[in-house]
Amino acid sequence: MESRIIDRPSFAHIRVDMSAGDRLVAESDAMASMTSNIQLKARFNGGLFRALVRRLFGGESLFVNEYSTDGTGHVILTQPTPGDIECLELRGNTLYLQGGAFIACEAGVKLGVGWAGLASLIGGEGLFRLKVGGHGKVWFGAYGGIFAREVEGEYIVDTGHLVAYEPSVSLRARLSGGLLSSFFSGEGLVTRVRGPGRIYLQTRSIAALAAWTNSHLV
Amino acid sequence: MGPFDGGVFDKRLQGGRAGAQLTVDAHGVHASTTAGDTFDVPARDCQLELGGASGRMWFCRTPDRQLTIYSEARGFAEALASLPNLSQPVAELRRHRRAESRRGVLFLLAALGMLIALGIAGYFGLDYAGRAAIEALPREADERIGRLAINSMDLGGPTVHDKTVTDAVNAIVARLAEHAPGDFEYQVRVLDAETVNAFALPGGQIVVYTGLIAKAEALDEVAGVLAHEIAHVTQRHGLQRIAQSLGVAGSLELLLGDLGGLSAIAVELMRAGALTSYGRDQEREADEQGVLTMHASGLDADGIARFFQKLQKEQDEMEIPEIFAWMSSHPDLDERIANVRAQIDSLGPVAEQPLEIDWDAVRRAVGPDAEAAGSAAEADATEKAPEQNADSKAGSKAKRRKR
Ligand SMILES: [Zn+2]
Repeated sequence: MESRIIDRPSFAHIRVDMSAGDRLVAESDAMASMTSNIQLKARFNGGLFRALVRRLFGGESLFVNEYSTDGTGHVILTQPTPGDIECLELRGNTLYLQGGAFIACEAGVKLGVGWAGLASLIGGEGLFRLKVGGHGKVWFGAYGGIFAREVEGEYIVDTGHLVAYEPSVSLRARLSGGLLSSFFSGEGLVTRVRGPGRIYLQTRSIAALAAWTNSHLV
Repeated sequence: MGPFDGGVFDKRLQGGRAGAQLTVDAHGVHASTTAGDTFDVPARDCQLELGGASGRMWFCRTPDRQLTIYSEARGFAEALASLPNLSQPVAELRRHRRAESRRGVLFLLAALGMLIALGIAGYFGLDYAGRAAIEALPREADERIGRLAINSMDLGGPTVHDKTVTDAVNAIVARLAEHAPGDFEYQVRVLDAETVNAFALPGGQIVVYTGLIAKAEALDEVAGVLAHEIAHVTQRHGLQRIAQSLGVAGSLELLLGDLGGLSAIAVELMRAGALTSYGRDQEREADEQGVLTMHASGLDADGIARFFQKLQKEQDEMEIPEIFAWMSSHPDLDERIANVRAQIDSLGPVAEQPLEIDWDAVRRAVGPDAEAAGSAAEADATEKAPEQNADSKAGSKAKRRKR
């Protein structure tokens, strides 16, 4: 299986060239196009219960698609937001993805759902997060560009910009300023991350876009 | 001890990281990745940290931080603590975490308490604001809603045009209106239907059914019911009901003076019967105000209590219960009779100025149900009735001119 990410960073999409025996798992609405000899099979996103939990709390879809082929062909995968896509090779390590970031993975990658904790909830990111582990490539997307950062000690991020992080990183919601100014400015909460470990950030925030759009609708 | 599921951070690894199986022995902590790479941190070099997304991940790091071996597997901390030079740091980190989670819980509780307090203040604030907004609305709002409601309602019977009946009811309402608070303009309709019912819509639309007139042995009984219904109008209970069902968002809209939306909601409510069925507190208030109005009008306020009793008695005897519509919207009669009588006692004697209406003639006019002879109290009413009715009509005209 060969893959590359095309048209980075603004309109990134993934081209995966597959041959017999390859299997690819992708978010149910990620496929933009594919050759006719690719077979597509929908299955629950890791068992019915886990799929439901992911759907309800993780913002992921109930089904994932599994692609395979008898010959050779390719699949083009994309994401709903305009932005970059990152490909990461897991080697037995684990990564947490914020809701909606997951696009696809190789068959050796295990999809799970993890309790994200109160910090995540308070930060507006939901109680659960997608957990990817095992071996193989995983693709995830962002709004805007993606950059990774190795965190040693403490680092402050705006919650809306956090796309993914390793389990070795701790997250804590924190007021950005005083109690009242945080409450009324809307810039209320930031996330204090603590390493060691790596975090992935997106250069744009959907929440900020939504707020900006709202402010122009009135 | 081990193996434990965990991982390694090291620059020599491709991507700088990998999952690994860990073991702990007297020499230190060892990790081997699935690719076959092995890493060791000697016990004396191991600098411990506790953290990670779960708060339970133990990191064993070399002093230069080039190599980190970590795990959150069960038993890993105990294995580390079994090494002589690590037992102290493990205990210390655990203590620190406990203290921190206690602080976290306290902070959370405080934050939660504050949120709840804010929520309650906000809720009651808006509730109060909604009520205040209702108070501030012009009388025109009540009238508009009342008109809308009555025009889109199925009133359930033909209008009665017999002047014996309409003049009598108009005279009662005119007398009561003169002594009721507020300056609403009342429009009375008498409808021919068996139902023992009367209701008032916001703004002063009053509907009385012949069934109720036939059931009342004395004028004061009907006057009592009408005084009660007029009180629903003057206390603006209809709009209060609307405000209640609007909820917080609607109250805000109301504060912004959106009368159009309010009318739409009122029509919806009216369809659900909410405009003519009030809450317990509103009924109590209407009883109280009704008694005051009756008293001020020089009418026998005990009429309403007697009418309640009559309904009660018939209810107990299960006599054609389905037509007692007024009663079904006015429960708890026992308690209300007692309250009304206690209030009358506290008001002291009334300077009675009875309306001179031939109540028996009115009852005869509304149908065969009025077979019983009138009670002694109204027996003195005579053929002077039409003239009296003309007087009271003039009175109500005068009142209108006054506005
Ligand atoms: Zn009532």
